[in-house]
Amino acid sequence: MLFAFIGVLLAAVVGGIWSGLRHVRDAQLVRMARTTVQTAEVRAKNADEQLRIAIEELRFLAADRIPAAVLALTHEHAPVPGLLHPQEANATLAKAMRDVLSATSAAAAGERDRVDAAARAAMRGATAKVQSLLYQTQSVLQDLQHELDDPRLLELDFRNELALRRIQATAVLCEAWPGLARSDSPLAEVVIGAQSRVAGYARIKMSNHLREQRLAVVARAAEPLAIAVAELLANATSYSHPDTAVPVTIQQSGGRGALIVVDDGGIGMDEETLARARRLLAGPEVLLLTELGNPPQAGFAVVGRLVRQYGFSCHVESSPYGGVRAMLRVPAELLTVLDEEHTLSVLVPAPAETAAPARPAEDPADDGPVVEATPLPSRRRRSPRTAAARPVAPVPPAAEAPVARTPEQAGALWGALQDGTRSGRSAAGSGTAVGTTSGRTAAGGSAAGDEQGDDRS
Amino acid sequence: MTPGRPGTSGAATTPEPGTPGGRGRRLVPAYLATGGRERPRGTADFDRLTVLVSTDQQPPEMDFGPEHRRLWTLLRPGALTVVECAAHLGLPVSATVFLAADLVGGGHLLARSPVPKAEAIDRTLIERLLVGLRALP
Repeated sequence: MLFAFIGVLLAAVVGGIWSGLRHVRDAQLVRMARTTVQTAEVRAKNADEQLRIAIEELRFLAADRIPAAVLALTHEHAPVPGLLHPQEANATLAKAMRDVLSATSAAAAGERDRVDAAARAAMRGATAKVQSLLYQTQSVLQDLQHELDDPRLLELDFRNELALRRIQATAVLCEAWPGLARSDSPLAEVVIGAQSRVAGYARIKMSNHLREQRLAVVARAAEPLAIAVAELLANATSYSHPDTAVPVTIQQSGGRGALIVVDDGGIGMDEETLARARRLLAGPEVLLLTELGNPPQAGFAVVGRLVRQYGFSCHVESSPYGGVRAMLRVPAELLTVLDEEHTLSVLVPAPAETAAPARPAEDPADDGPVVEATPLPSRRRRSPRTAAARPVAPVPPAAEAPVARTPEQAGALWGALQDGTRSGRSAAGSGTAVGTTSGRTAAGGSAAGDEQGDDRS
Repeated sequence: MTPGRPGTSGAATTPEPGTPGGRGRRLVPAYLATGGRERPRGTADFDRLTVLVSTDQQPPEMDFGPEHRRLWTLLRPGALTVVECAAHLGLPVSATVFLAADLVGGGHLLARSPVPKAEAIDRTLIERLLVGLRALP
């Protein structure tokens, strides 16, 4: 009985202890489980947060960062935004997204170059054909101008030339050859020729400060130089008021080169635009059509390309006239001197006698007396129009009599004519000799008169 | 960078036989003499054979281009027709007319219309006269 009681008691004690022990263990387990759950909850929450951030970053990447990176290819100052949450974002994720961004940019740049090259090639083909057609039109127009006296033909020729300039500029941008081979051409004619290709050519006033009038541009650079100068002149005329003149000066620089200075009194350029212009004028390695803006501003880009190919150099700065001054330097190796028999066009301004090679002419009107410096090498009449000794002229005398002439003068003239014919008849051989000699003397007198006129003016 | 070969633009490269001096395509076009105008100054009607004579008034530098002064100087020794002046200046007649009209307008040149051709005689009239004369006794 007692044993039974003790046994029960023991069992109760043991059971109590055991159950107490179990209770303690259970509590520990519960605590541990709770911690685990809490950790898991935190982790899950963190993971959710990370996922949310990642999704947000990806959305931002697609919506803003990639377009910005592609835009930055054409506009180097365009900002490319970084991560939305730079602190919270996972480092691996951030790096992966940077890789995506750079790979996209590279792909876009490659595709852009390919498309641009294809566009240039297509344009090159088209311009070559159109240019050739315009040259054919020019030839026909020139023939017509010598057959017909309609001034509208001149107008038409001008329109044709404008179209030709556009086409040539486009061709140059598309890396085509300028499309015309010239022989060595006088620098003054090249600049005048460039002037004729510009819409407001009447406003362009060229002053010629060359010491050597037969200074010429070598054949391979003649047409490219004309294109470049035409672009500079077109810029100057289109960015200045239609009532202002655009002075152009050509002069020989110290180092046997030549300098063409184009000024305008226009709106000028701010520093940023000037910097862009200088970058284009330096002749960048790659020039994409897509970089020229919309509408495309091709002028400086064309000059830059020619500068790179042919070795001129061009510089722009603020002009004392208020607008922009563009200076195009032609190095000595692109210049030559033509032989004596080469005659300049009558439309080329005669050289200014006061050569001022050190500085460009500040005053476009100050180009000095002009008349006889480069005598026109055409056949001249030997006998000047003097009443004293006029031999029988090839033109009928009636046609020569000017309207404003007093009866006395007219009488003297007819008297002289009669004297002349009479002496001619009496002394058959010597009559012409007398006429020629007196004609020469009088021609000298007239030239002296012209010189006096020069000094006065 | 692949510049096109010189042969690619066809007719553009061949020198033009019609250009002065055979020196290739013209560089200085004649329309520069118009100064951007569509019609010559004034209302005077210039013909190829209109005779031009210079007066003693030298054209001032400020208002006239080099081509005007060349024309005036060309006419100093005596009269020439418009077409002769054009040949001397190497310009088409139409462009020379612009220069001449400017100088005439400024009083530096005088222009005289060409002597009109005599009226063409009616051939039948002459023949009838001849017949009449022969028929005289």
